[in-house]
Amino acid sequence: MEEVQAVLHYFGAALGLGLVVIGAGIGIGRLAAAAADGVARQPSAADRITAAVNLPLFLLEGVAILAEVFILLVVLLR
Amino acid sequence: MVENAPQAHAPEAPPEAFDAGKVIIEHVSNSGLDHPLIHLPHVFNVDLSVTKHVLMLWIVSAVILLVAVLTVRRYLRQDRLVPSGFTNALEAVVLFVRDSMVEPNVGRKWTMVYTPLVLTLFLFILCANAIGLIPLFEVAGLIDRTLLHTSYDSFLNRALHGGATATANFNVTAALATITFFAIIFAGTRAHGFVQHWKNLVPHGLAWPIYILLIPIEIMGMFVRPFALTMRLAANMTGGHIAILAILSFVFLFAEMAGQALVGIGVGLLFSVPIAVAITALELIVVLVQAYVFALLSAVFIGMAIHVHH
Repeated sequence: MEEVQAVLHYFGAALGLGLVVIGAGIGIGRLAAAAADGVARQPSAADRITAAVNLPLFLLEGVAILAEVFILLVVLLR
Repeated sequence: MVENAPQAHAPEAPPEAFDAGKVIIEHVSNSGLDHPLIHLPHVFNVDLSVTKHVLMLWIVSAVILLVAVLTVRRYLRQDRLVPSGFTNALEAVVLFVRDSMVEPNVGRKWTMVYTPLVLTLFLFILCANAIGLIPLFEVAGLIDRTLLHTSYDSFLNRALHGGATATANFNVTAALATITFFAIIFAGTRAHGFVQHWKNLVPHGLAWPIYILLIPIEIMGMFVRPFALTMRLAANMTGGHIAILAILSFVFLFAEMAGQALVGIGVGLLFSVPIAVAITALELIVVLVQAYVFALLSAVFIGMAIHVHH
C-alpha cells in the first residue's frame, strides 16, 4: 500500500509537469508564430511587435515556472 | 565538484554510493546555518552568519560598485565628451534600460525618476545571475582537494558546498521583489496621492456587487505580482543548475551501475558533457533574459500604477 502511494504520488507530479510543459509550449508557440507572422507582413514594425509580444510571453512563462515550483514542492514535501 | 560534493561533509568517510539527489540539493541550496563561511553573532535572534549566497552577493555588489564608479569617474576626468573604451558598453546598457524599458512603460514625465531603480535592479540581477556561471566554489574545491588539503574547519572548506547562483535563493529574489512591491506603491502615491492610489486599484463606476468580488481579487493581484517575480527568477536560476547537474550525474550513475569507470567516462564523453555544454550555453541566454524580465516587469508594474487604465 505504502509503495503504491509513493508511485502514485510521483506519477501525479510527473503527469502534472508534463501537462504544464504542454500548456506552456502551446502558449509560447502560438505567441511566437503570431509574432513571426506579424514581422513577415510588416518588417518595419518588428520592434513594436517584439515589445508587444514580450510581456504576455513573460507572464505565461511565469505561470509555467510557478507550476513547476509547486510540482517540485509536491515531490519534496512528501 | 560533482566528485567532491558527496564527501564534502566527512573527509574520512568510507566510499559511499553516489546519491545524485543529495549532490544536486547540496549544490543549489545555501550552506547550512551550522556550517557557515564566517560565524557572526545573533542580533535579535537573527543569525547574521555569512553563508555562500551572502558572500556571492557581496562579491556582486563590490564588482558593480567598482566597475560603475571607476568607469564614470574616468569618463568625468577625460577632457572630451565622446566616451571611450568600456564607457561605451556601460552607456549602451544605461541607454537601453532608459529608452526601451523604462520610457515606454512609465512615460516621459517619470522616466528619470524610475530609471535609476530599474537600472540598478537590472545590473544587480544580471551580475548575480552571471556569477553563478563562474564556478568560483568549484575551482576552490578542486584546488583544496588536490593541492592544499586544508582542515575541515578552514574557511575554504566551509565554502565547499558547491555554489549555485545567489539569485537561485528564494530569499534573495523575494527581497528584490519587495523593493518592486514598495516601488509600485510609491509610484502610485507620487502620481495620484496616497488615497487615490488605493482607489485606483479597482475601476470606478461599477455596480456595487461587483466590488465585493473585485476588491479581494485586486488585493490578491497586488501580492501575486511580486510573488511571481520572486518565483520566476529563482526557479529559472535553480532549474538550469539542476538540469546540468542531473545530466552530469549520469556519468557516475552509469559508472556505478556497470561497475567500471570506463563506462562512465564513455557516457560522459558521448552524452553528458556535450549536452551539459549546450545547456550552459542556454543558461547564458537565460541569465540575460531573466535580468531583463525582472527589470522590465518592474517598470511595467510601476507604469501600471502611474497610468491607470481600467
